[in-house]
Amino acid sequence: MMDKLNNIFELNNVFVEFEKHSIKRRSLREALGAKLKKQSTEKIEALKKINLKITEGEHIGIIGRNGAGKSTLLKVLTKVIIPNKGDVIRNESKHFVPLLELGIGFQGDLSGKENCLLAGMLMGYTKDEVEEKLQSIIEFSELGDFINEPVKNYSSGMYARLAFAIATDIEPEVLIVDEVFGVGDEFFMRKCIVRMQKLMADGVTTVFVAHNIDFLTAHCSRMIWIDEGKIIMDGDPHEVARAYRSSDTSLKLLKAQ
Amino acid sequence: MTFSKKNIDKPSLRFAWHFAISQLKLKYRYTALGFLWNFLEPALYLIILSLVFSVVNRMNLSDYAVFLFSALVPWRYFEKVVNTVMESIVNGEWLLKKMYVSPFAFPLNRWIISSFEFLFSISVAFIIFAFIKENWTIHLLILPLSIIPWALLGMGLGMTAAVLYTFFRDIKPLVQMLLTLTFFTSPILFNKDLFDPNSLQAKIMSLHPFTYLAALFQKPVYQEAFPSVYDWVISFGFAFAALGVGVFLINKFKSKFYFYL
Repeated sequence: MMDKLNNIFELNNVFVEFEKHSIKRRSLREALGAKLKKQSTEKIEALKKINLKITEGEHIGIIGRNGAGKSTLLKVLTKVIIPNKGDVIRNESKHFVPLLELGIGFQGDLSGKENCLLAGMLMGYTKDEVEEKLQSIIEFSELGDFINEPVKNYSSGMYARLAFAIATDIEPEVLIVDEVFGVGDEFFMRKCIVRMQKLMADGVTTVFVAHNIDFLTAHCSRMIWIDEGKIIMDGDPHEVARAYRSSDTSLKLLKAQ
Repeated sequence: MTFSKKNIDKPSLRFAWHFAISQLKLKYRYTALGFLWNFLEPALYLIILSLVFSVVNRMNLSDYAVFLFSALVPWRYFEKVVNTVMESIVNGEWLLKKMYVSPFAFPLNRWIISSFEFLFSISVAFIIFAFIKENWTIHLLILPLSIIPWALLGMGLGMTAAVLYTFFRDIKPLVQMLLTLTFFTSPILFNKDLFDPNSLQAKIMSLHPFTYLAALFQKPVYQEAFPSVYDWVISFGFAFAALGVGVFLINKFKSKFYFYL
């Protein structure tokens, strides 16, 4: 019973498939045409048979080459993608805060403040709860009066700072982060990392995707290596990182260079 | 059936509401005339149509205007709901591909905005009625109930169209055509009494669902009577059926939306 309560995510046999032609066949004409010609749709399997359990307080780093399925996995964890097969069980009593890209869920025409409110609401907080945090969000993001400007007028740095401030200021319980530290100046990056470390020390469950393996081995308690939609290795960060670095694929890439 | 907990969670509901408020504020924030414009636009539309079609209907202008406005105002609302809800899921791509939000949140959001704008246009109609309508009867009090089937039907058909539009982007003109056809075969523009009861037109109108929906407004406003039981049953029947289809379709196809947005 306790085990069940501590589970944040449980993925059983999760498959995600993309239809290769779904972009083309967005019109009735072409869909009917394809049906008449009996064209079958080619499928790309982005995730294959993923079994994964994540418990409270874990800090998980996900590594893998481009296109391995890391971001797709994060989108499954955040419910943005509903898998074709398999179950995703989430502990819905927690506040899940996704940071899949900076400026996620921002509507350009609305002001920074309004975007804060909307994003906060989507993360499961009430208007009052978000408003309470607004001052510290403005402070962290160093936006000042710009908070009342439409976010489409923001510089990419301002955009990133605001997004990061929202995601981390409203006391997330589960933080899901996709490679987002590349934005902003070094000073801000360090500020972000300090804040992430604090959240992790406070016991916030975190799932990271990053290409900076040294950062992940330094901060994660567990590492998952994904390739071609499958989990290749899952365990101690140092071991996984070593195996990943010495893997054929990365050697081949090095030789090619 | 309609919006149980299974279909939309609290955060998405809050989002749909506050996003609607933000958008409404935005629309009227930067123009001093914005608020007035919202009154002016339906007023001009109503006045022009009544000037033209009072001649066709061989009625005096103020009588015809009362007749026309009574059902045209809810029709314009209905049309707006269908059109905007249809595009709502595709237009919600900026969020739907990045963060979890119930697939019902954007349809609901558009529906809330259109409903606010309906309140503007019905006030315009009543301001005009103040000048041209002679008798104000107790029957008018039924109108808040009369709008419900219109609102639900619009939402239901809008959601159905939204699912189709997500997969088939060329469906928009088709929907537009169907709406136009529905409008011109219904007794909104033309008084039903204009036609011989045995004529084809009269028969089409008696089979037309919008004859009954229109009656919910035309009878209290124009005929100074309450709508009949038939009017209510048929209107609500269509409304709930459409809503059921819309909710069913979104639930059935929601897992595919991501790949088609």
